[in-house]
Amino acid sequence: MSIVELENINFQYKGSKDGSLDNINLNIEKDQTVLLCGASGSGKTSIIRLINGLIPHYYSGELEGDIRVAGHDVKKTELHELAGTVGTVFQNPRSQFFSVDTDGEIVFGPENIGLEPKEIKARLNDVVAEMDLDELLGRSIFDLSGGQKQRIACASVAALLPDVILLDEPSSNLDFDSIELLRGIILEWKRQGKTIVISEHRLWYLKDAVDRVIYMEKGKMAREWTGDEFNSLSEEEVKSYKLRPVVLEEELIRDIRGESASSFCDAGEAIELKDFYFSYNKHPYLIFKRHFKESDGESLNLNIPSLRIPKGKIIGLVGPNGTGKSTFLRCLCGLERDCRGKISVGGKTFKGRDRLKICYMVMQDVNHQLFTDSVKSEVMLSMIDKDEKRCDEILENLGLLEYKETHPMALSGGQKQRVAIASAIASDAEILLFDEPTSGLDYSHMEKVGMLLKELASQGASVIVSTHDPELISECCDYILGINRGRAVYLKENKKL
Amino acid sequence: MRLDPRTKLFMVFVISLIAMMSATTPVLWAIRLIITLIPIVLLILEKKYSSALRFFLAYGIALVLLLFFISENSEGIIASLLIGYCGIVVQFMPALITAWYVIRTTKIGEFMSCMQKMHIPDGIAVSLAVVMRFFPTIKEEYSSINDAMRMRGVMLGGGNVLRMFEFRMIPLLFSCVNIGEELSAAAITRGLGGDSKRSSLIELKLGLADYLLMSFLTAATVIFVMYKYFL
Repeated sequence: MSIVELENINFQYKGSKDGSLDNINLNIEKDQTVLLCGASGSGKTSIIRLINGLIPHYYSGELEGDIRVAGHDVKKTELHELAGTVGTVFQNPRSQFFSVDTDGEIVFGPENIGLEPKEIKARLNDVVAEMDLDELLGRSIFDLSGGQKQRIACASVAALLPDVILLDEPSSNLDFDSIELLRGIILEWKRQGKTIVISEHRLWYLKDAVDRVIYMEKGKMAREWTGDEFNSLSEEEVKSYKLRPVVLEEELIRDIRGESASSFCDAGEAIELKDFYFSYNKHPYLIFKRHFKESDGESLNLNIPSLRIPKGKIIGLVGPNGTGKSTFLRCLCGLERDCRGKISVGGKTFKGRDRLKICYMVMQDVNHQLFTDSVKSEVMLSMIDKDEKRCDEILENLGLLEYKETHPMALSGGQKQRVAIASAIASDAEILLFDEPTSGLDYSHMEKVGMLLKELASQGASVIVSTHDPELISECCDYILGINRGRAVYLKENKKL
Repeated sequence: MRLDPRTKLFMVFVISLIAMMSATTPVLWAIRLIITLIPIVLLILEKKYSSALRFFLAYGIALVLLLFFISENSEGIIASLLIGYCGIVVQFMPALITAWYVIRTTKIGEFMSCMQKMHIPDGIAVSLAVVMRFFPTIKEEYSSINDAMRMRGVMLGGGNVLRMFEFRMIPLLFSCVNIGEELSAAAITRGLGGDSKRSSLIELKLGLADYLLMSFLTAATVIFVMYKYFL
């Protein structure tokens, strides 16, 4: 029996061609687990939104065709009536929480549909036991890591006991261990007989978990595989569809998890780091700040007495979430003032605020670092000597010249990222830092970022990129620098290149 | 100590009322000072010692300056600046600090439950709850934007006050609008805005502390108004 039926669907968002759907016919049986894959803008998310009713009730556009989910005609059903039937886990952990505390978030759904307090309590206890969430109860959501947030999001969806569960790129912001936990949750739901639809770029964690795989291309269902066919696709075939790999190499996984043996290869011509100590728990002080020292040991969030990083290369910064990758980047570029590390490069030493002059970090959310009203003024803002000719050159190189007068916020995500990179180049920074530049990107966009990084390195910049993305690492990183518990654990050459 | 959100709301109301009304006689001053001590004591009970101390000092200094060193006859630029500063601190800070305390110590679930008990329509309650939830978000976004500005060396907007403001506000507004949109989509799919009456896991009950504090606040208001207008 089909629980989800999409019949002759044509859809286009208001004012945008991206994500439109073209003659979709899809029946999903009860108990099935379906994976939607394909490039960004191919319509994966639109299908998810059709099933949970956000299209047409929240995102408007032109819609033709019929949608039925568990007996409801979605077009004529109010969104809140679907709440007990369809549950959705969204991509961005930052913006799917209504409460500030974890308990409140899990019971938010049941409260909305007006269940009795006793019943709500029982469901809370069930979900917590099922998903092993005891340690997360009673905490502020703003203090959780991305992976922990995503587990709470899954729990709050499960508390409504929906028959159909949708996941929209749930792994985008997660590290390896969190993705393993997510896989566990999906398998548990499968065991309970839920119907599951997942839209995703990362495929490896769904191997052996899905019954059907649908490949989307330009709004059409271009290919379909059974779970077994999908598992046995060869590496080349997967690549030819511009998909991310289904099977990952063991060694690469160990490297990315920060589990490889401690060893440091010769860095050649190097950037030397000295005395990078930092902790988020500040020492209490009255007049004089006490500086962090190596002897503070385990209480430090970053503890790197000295480190040599190859100059003019791309270094992949890896390790589990919350063990110091971001802290390392923030200290390196001088954003954390209490870290008094020194950077020596080419005979010059930079410390304190001067670190900001030779480093430039392109943040994960580039929206935070674009300030002006045109791409050109964005680049000019970074230049010390305002030189319009050089500005044009930089924009030309990044393929942004035609957008010179466009407002940065009107650009696509990838273009915004390139504007941020353009202003980094304009600032004459020698060391470019990237914080998870490819999270949530599909294969071809990831490839583009990789090529761009290579280009930057070939022009002499040293690029340090923090990432969980195995494909990005094998695509472009010359070296891998492993960080664990605030310490640099290994530096090794990437043999795949 | 857990106070009921209803008591907290009442407290915000009374403290802002009394702290904003001008005190002219010693009795009125005494009541106003006692009322101002309440949030300080509550902060100490919540173990937020440094906030309590900072507030106490700022308020104390402003008050001493206002009472003993500045009068209507003071002249000069420093005196007029001080009058402005002290006036604002003495008038508004007690209310502000109480509101801050309430927001910090009230869970959204408690707040919603409180609104239901008071028969406030769900629409209003939900909007207020979203506002509460947005404070930490704004703080998070603001600090990342600040980081980005430091990195680009535009903390001072190139010496232009307007740009300094613009550079902070534009990205902040954009990301808050985006988060808000995604947030409401996520909330609606979990049944927010339905016809059925919302229920609440947290069942509120007024305790001894609530009754004591409420009667104390009521008494203070009555005495204050009596002395100010009728005696």
